[in-house]
Amino acid sequence: MILADIYQLWSSIWPAGVTMLALGSGFAIILLIASEKLKVEIDPKIEQIQEALPSLDCGGCGFAGCGQYAKAVLANPDLLGKCAPGGQKSTEAIAKILNLQVSDSAAPKRPIVHCKGHTKDKTFNAIYQGIQSCIAANALSPAQACKFGCLGLGDCVSVCKFDAISIIDGLATIDYEKCTGCGACAKHCPRGLIEMVPFSQEKMMTVACSSKESGKVTRTMCKVGCIGCGICVKMGEHFTIENNLARVDYENYQPSEKNQTALNKCPKKVIIETGKKCKA
Amino acid sequence: MDTFTTLLMAFISIVIINNLVLTKFLGICPYLGVSGRVDMAFGMGLAVTFVVTISGTLTWLIDHLILIPLDLEITRYICFILVIAGAVQLVEMYIRKFFPALYDSFGIFLPLITTNCAILGLCLFINLWGIDNLPEAAVLSFGAGIGFTVAICVMAGIRENLNLADVPKCLRGAPITLITAGLLTLAFMGFAGMIK
Repeated sequence: MILADIYQLWSSIWPAGVTMLALGSGFAIILLIASEKLKVEIDPKIEQIQEALPSLDCGGCGFAGCGQYAKAVLANPDLLGKCAPGGQKSTEAIAKILNLQVSDSAAPKRPIVHCKGHTKDKTFNAIYQGIQSCIAANALSPAQACKFGCLGLGDCVSVCKFDAISIIDGLATIDYEKCTGCGACAKHCPRGLIEMVPFSQEKMMTVACSSKESGKVTRTMCKVGCIGCGICVKMGEHFTIENNLARVDYENYQPSEKNQTALNKCPKKVIIETGKKCKA
Repeated sequence: MDTFTTLLMAFISIVIINNLVLTKFLGICPYLGVSGRVDMAFGMGLAVTFVVTISGTLTWLIDHLILIPLDLEITRYICFILVIAGAVQLVEMYIRKFFPALYDSFGIFLPLITTNCAILGLCLFINLWGIDNLPEAAVLSFGAGIGFTVAICVMAGIRENLNLADVPKCLRGAPITLITAGLLTLAFMGFAGMIK
């Protein structure tokens, strides 16, 4: 009885099995031929370089992603060292794959926000309720009195892939623990407030303002704007004043007592220390 | 009606009236996933059109030349999936060889077409609707792809503009996308019954 059942089952199954097998083999042969005909030669070095990169696809190097950068570096070794998140480690690994020598690279670049105006410090002519992006607000609205200050709508936040920048009380604030220095925020700030600066020291001193207005006008727009008084130039070592705005010479900056005095004497308290372990 | 009119009617019907995405709710995954930008959506639509045309026609042939004569309709699902997976592989190799830029921009989405239920859905619908000639099956397959492209491109266009809209905070992201999809479906339902 059971044997007969099994035989019947088998006799109804085998055509299905054979058909599937035949169809499967047919497609396998077609794909096999296609894979031979449509073969793409890929340099194994590209894969090696890609492994040396952090695979974050942040675009900080100027290419669409790590894969694109790997190809570009292989074709043109001058592009070596463009990967900010990978840093020195990636650069050395890629150099080894390409048999190149690396020179000692400069200090890693990190963004600095040249504004200190939180919502309570700024003067507003009106309340901005338009499209919630800095580009739109910058192009259309004079709602915020200061034409140079942070708009606080977070274009930089939305482009940061590392969650390293946030808007705190209307001001873009960078978390240097998370920042990799890809520079996306600096590229996207419509007011050019964010500058990529070589961090030769753990803590960098900076002038957190971009206002090029005269001191008198700046005073009316913001409680914490640089008025270009020049005290820091007299007291400190690495300060200059240009267009009513103090600036730190980041290339040569060294922490010193004089600079510390300048920071303390700034009447608007607009000179600040930024970097890891600094209070935002 | 002569053959040409039948084919034209079938085409219009599958593109706007019985649109697989908007009225049958098939292929919702790429419809919502890849509709962020119009150019990406268009590329995805073209890839789907290509795959669905090949696999729709091929499955009709396999169904009518192999499965029905052998009384093996029960293995339709497996055979159809086999055809679709094979076609996707073929498309992937072809695009990789001749359109590397397109290949890079597709990324993971190209292999994912394999599991796009709009394609398997269409292959099964062709059978369900009792289409008994090859030209109509081919036109329906091609039309289904075009319908998918139209739907995903319209959606991407709306979503691109939605980025600039002042959407209430609780609805940002997925919720507003689903609401948009629902409204779009309602709009397309207006075509229902246009062709009998």
